[in-house]
Amino acid sequence: MPKHYRPAGKKKEGNAAKYITRTKAVKYLQISLATFRKLCILKGVFPRDPKKKVEGNHKTYYHMKDIAFLAHDPLIEKFREIKVHRKKVKKAFAKKNKDLADRLLNRPPTYKLDRLILERYPTFVDALRDLDDCLTMVHLFAALPAVEGERVQVQRIHNCRRLSHEWQAYISRTHSLRKTFISVKGIYYQAEVQGQKITWLTPHALQQVLTDDVDFNVMLTFLEFYETLLGFINFKLYHSINVNYPPVLDPRLEALASELYALCRYMSSGRVPGNSEPAGLIEDKEGEDNKESSKTDESELRLAQLQHQLPTNEPGALMHLVQESTAADADDADAKECRSLFKNLKFYLSREVPRESLLFIIPAFGGTVSWEGEGAPFDETDEDITHQIVDRPTQSHVFLSREYVQPQWIYDCVNARIILPTEGYIVGRVPPPHLSPFVDNDAEGYIPEYAETIKRLQAAAQSQVLPLPSLGDEDMENSLVEAIIDRSESNEIADKKRKLEMLEKQYHDELRMEYEGKTFSNRTADNQPDVVDKSDTKEADDHMEDSHKQAEKDAADISKTLMSRKQRGLLQAIEINQERKKDKVNLLKKRKKNADSSASAKGR
Amino acid sequence: MGHSDGDHGSDLSADDSPWSEGSWSDDDDEGSLSFEDSGEGSDAESDEPDAPAVEESDSSEDEVAPRNTIGDVPLEWYKNEEHIGYDITGSKIKKRDREGRIEAYLRNADDAKNWRKIYDEYNDEEVQITKEEAKIISRLLKGKTPHTNVDPYPDYVDWFEYDGKGHPLSSAPEPKRRFVPSRWEQKKVVKLVRAIRKGWIKFDKPKEEPNFYLLWGDETDTADNKRQGLSYIPAPKPNLPGHEESYNPSVEYIPTQEEIDSYQLMYEEDRPKFIPRKFDCLRSVPAYEKALREGFDRCLDLYLCPRTRKKRINIDPESLKPKLPSKKDLRPYPRTCYLEFKGHNGPVKSLSVEATGQWIASGSSDGTIRVWEVETGRCIKVWNVGGVVHRIAWNPSPDRHILAAVVDHDLLLLNAEVGDEDAQMKTKGLLQIEELAQEEDNGDKKPAVKWVKHEKFDGIMLIHHKAVSTVEWHFKGDYFTTVVPSGDSRAVLLHQLSKKHSHHPFRKLPGLPIAAVFHPSQKMFFVATKKFVQVYDLQKAQLVKKLESGVREISSISIHPGGDNVIVGSKDGKLCWFDTDLSTRPYKTLKNHSKDITNVTFHRKYPLFASSSEDCTAYVFHGMVYSDLNQNPLIVPLEILRGHSSSDGRGVLDCKFHPRQPWLFTAGADSVVRLYCD
Repeated sequence: MPKHYRPAGKKKEGNAAKYITRTKAVKYLQISLATFRKLCILKGVFPRDPKKKVEGNHKTYYHMKDIAFLAHDPLIEKFREIKVHRKKVKKAFAKKNKDLADRLLNRPPTYKLDRLILERYPTFVDALRDLDDCLTMVHLFAALPAVEGERVQVQRIHNCRRLSHEWQAYISRTHSLRKTFISVKGIYYQAEVQGQKITWLTPHALQQVLTDDVDFNVMLTFLEFYETLLGFINFKLYHSINVNYPPVLDPRLEALASELYALCRYMSSGRVPGNSEPAGLIEDKEGEDNKESSKTDESELRLAQLQHQLPTNEPGALMHLVQESTAADADDADAKECRSLFKNLKFYLSREVPRESLLFIIPAFGGTVSWEGEGAPFDETDEDITHQIVDRPTQSHVFLSREYVQPQWIYDCVNARIILPTEGYIVGRVPPPHLSPFVDNDAEGYIPEYAETIKRLQAAAQSQVLPLPSLGDEDMENSLVEAIIDRSESNEIADKKRKLEMLEKQYHDELRMEYEGKTFSNRTADNQPDVVDKSDTKEADDHMEDSHKQAEKDAADISKTLMSRKQRGLLQAIEINQERKKDKVNLLKKRKKNADSSASAKGR
Repeated sequence: MGHSDGDHGSDLSADDSPWSEGSWSDDDDEGSLSFEDSGEGSDAESDEPDAPAVEESDSSEDEVAPRNTIGDVPLEWYKNEEHIGYDITGSKIKKRDREGRIEAYLRNADDAKNWRKIYDEYNDEEVQITKEEAKIISRLLKGKTPHTNVDPYPDYVDWFEYDGKGHPLSSAPEPKRRFVPSRWEQKKVVKLVRAIRKGWIKFDKPKEEPNFYLLWGDETDTADNKRQGLSYIPAPKPNLPGHEESYNPSVEYIPTQEEIDSYQLMYEEDRPKFIPRKFDCLRSVPAYEKALREGFDRCLDLYLCPRTRKKRINIDPESLKPKLPSKKDLRPYPRTCYLEFKGHNGPVKSLSVEATGQWIASGSSDGTIRVWEVETGRCIKVWNVGGVVHRIAWNPSPDRHILAAVVDHDLLLLNAEVGDEDAQMKTKGLLQIEELAQEEDNGDKKPAVKWVKHEKFDGIMLIHHKAVSTVEWHFKGDYFTTVVPSGDSRAVLLHQLSKKHSHHPFRKLPGLPIAAVFHPSQKMFFVATKKFVQVYDLQKAQLVKKLESGVREISSISIHPGGDNVIVGSKDGKLCWFDTDLSTRPYKTLKNHSKDITNVTFHRKYPLFASSSEDCTAYVFHGMVYSDLNQNPLIVPLEILRGHSSSDGRGVLDCKFHPRQPWLFTAGADSVVRLYCD
């Protein structure tokens, strides 16, 4: 209970006055437990861990200042109003007073979470720091089925989809994406916004099943807060790049989305402006350059899009200049690298690949992308397409001017920051292992084989001189030349491998010849002393090893003698940790060896 | 019945005679009519009742006047008369002739409509009931309204006409409130109007306000951005995925089937929460069924888990180890085993080095005491004392080659018979005992110690009252002390060799005594009990200091040559260094042995000290005591000396330093004495 005046000797002092249990807190606030939970979630109040638990170790303790913080919040009165309003509506319906019920339902008491967000995150950087859980939750609800009658309202799911697409549009526009990882649980993304690393998980674009073992009230309360937080953050971010928020969608594409939505296949309408704008910009550039050679239809389509996006030429140009200047100011080495990774590459997505994810990633790294369906920037028959992303066993129709790769190639290129060779990712082949970009292999103590390969490719790419920016045709020629160079390099590597194998074989042959010569020339009488010498040396080596080990242990014991008990325990804990890590690495190596041996056995 | 018929006949005959001729003629006509009716048969009778029925049905019963007009006169009065009354004209109505019972029965049997005939006694005629009348009667019997077309519950028709009456029905005057506006309605309207004006009641739909704005404005004001309340602890970030969570991991990250099966044997909470799998292409990856569950678990963690700021220590293990000076700078110290003294047949329990360092003496459990030459390792002399030798101590005076040995129960003083002739003669002289002194002692009370001449070894046997455990010499070589642990008030004894005298100055001890040692240079005495070390001033005969060790049980004690530092070995493997000027608590406690420490010893010249233990090792330390009083001693562990093997679970039983060289002698339970050199 709160601290009241009491005479000396009868005061509640220490932890008894500072901390309060949950039951007493609920009584003190005079609200129900469900409302208390909701308040804690919205206000960010969490239990504390006092050193001395006055009423037992099994209870949850809140700090008294936190509870006072809740008690003085206007939201608690608003929740009471909501409860009273609900009772009034129920009573009106019970009394068959429909007019009063309608009037009450038209005027429900509402509350806003703006002040709460500013309370919890006084600065924008604080909000960005806590954005991981927010984005993961919003993306999780965006992937839920939008079905009426379920526990989650359809409107909220649509709102989550809109917010997530707006966030992805900003990340794609500013090229802030840094890492991607396809996991069994979903696709992880990591972006860097104003110096803060933000990591979130998007479930796969598959039908999620609503289970019964979760309490949706708690999740919906979190979602309510996170929706508001993400909205304000989006506003701030869009404001920083001089874009209106909420964004105004393209009516034609929105209508198409409505049609798709009517067909129960909701299209990412919020995603299209984010995608079309960079495409428009790139098309604008290409249009200026290739006006003579481009087709009339394509030029008309581009002109229509440009006219729609930019009402007049001068404001668009000014905005473009402003964007360029701001982008130039905010750039650093990594951002530049990310911006230009997929530059001059044109992608086409097949039907079966995760389209939303690739529409997010490829523009974020400077590429142009299209898909199959209405509203796409270009068709499959476009000759300029450099890569087609396919995820099926075979491809029926093949264009010779493009490469057919699996989606993992995109993610691996993004994580490695280079254009990886596409041989391992060709359609119908099992791709190489997909590694996590979040693991520090050196600290972990084990480096997978493909990580070594990528490292070597990165070193080769860094030593390579980047081509100068030039016109489209030359870019195409350069990309072709680069492809040829990659092939020639791989051929050279193969040749080197062959030479090394020949050298190894020769070395083994020479060893065998020496061994045979020695055995042939020596007499049988000389063999026995050699055997004896070998055994003696072996025993001597064992003895030396034992003594060396004993010396090391003695040195350790000597240094341990002067330690205090706490230091000795700490050292032991550190050693246990190192031992555990070593065991883990040994297990991985053992599995690798078994896999290699089984693979070689299959090879025979 | 017959009698009644007779009465009727008599009545008829009596009536005919008194009447006039005119009236009589009318009666005859009527009688003939009635007779005719009865004579005609059923047809005539059926025709006659029909007419009254038709009349009754057409109009009310009151309109059909009865034939008889006598009113309410009871008919019994006409019982004896021949007429039953008078008709409307005043003529007498004659009674009808009664039929006989047989005739009546036959007529009734033949008549099919008999059930509808009723005899009207008042009018003296038979009436036939019609169908409608029968229905009316049945309805009356059922309790219903007689006529079917009558509705018993008609709608109420207000027969009174109020229009145009001109005045109210009630004569009360109208109240005034029906002519003035309602005050309460006006109040209600005023209330609503005020609510509408103030905006509490709105009729139009509220506008859709923009929900989002620039919440974080200019962030130049740092003071306004402070977070209120307690220190905010952000939630820990969830763990980032590793290589094993990939949809296409390397083969070494996928567990084998045996490992997956072994997970079933683990406890539920010890099992890994995620088992890696491999999918050949991205198309075949299914939806993760635990997505919602994991999101919910994260929500629970965010609002239900207590948070604490915890210092995550990322310490380099090498930084935990204290910085020690280089061992090369601290040389010389014993490092390697140089010599082994073999000859004993049992564990060597005690060692002692002669003051000049030429000879060492060793006592063993096999009942022998041996003297060895240090340089050559040769065994010079062997005594078979016939009991276990617990302790052996060489006299520290160079010219007195006397060995004090604790054999079984008592103390034995032996002539070592080493050195030159003069020293031997002097030693032999010291070991002579006079008979007179012995007799004098016997004359008094029973003494604690009895000095007896030993005939076999030509020495002195000090027979104690209880078992002796240790013996220590004074640095000058004349006094020595023995400890009898179970001796109570006579536990610690002081003996003088030159006078052959013993006494026990320490009466009370705070526990069982373990060891007693003289101060190297002053008249001080150290007594070590199980937990304490007491320092006595022999000159003042009082307790000076009490050192608390903090170990379980003290096993040995040694004094630094400077006198101000004491080391104590214990039975739980700990070694305590006391700086007696600093404090009564240990200056440093070293836990270097895993088993009991059997002995600790200081070197007399070099800054070295050593400890031997039951774990077959001996530690050598550098222990420098500075003459500057402001500087504390420096303790550095130097070497772990190994080589002894275990015998019956016992290891190194004693260790002693050479008095002049940096050498260490160790006595082992494996019957070997080892010499460790630099």
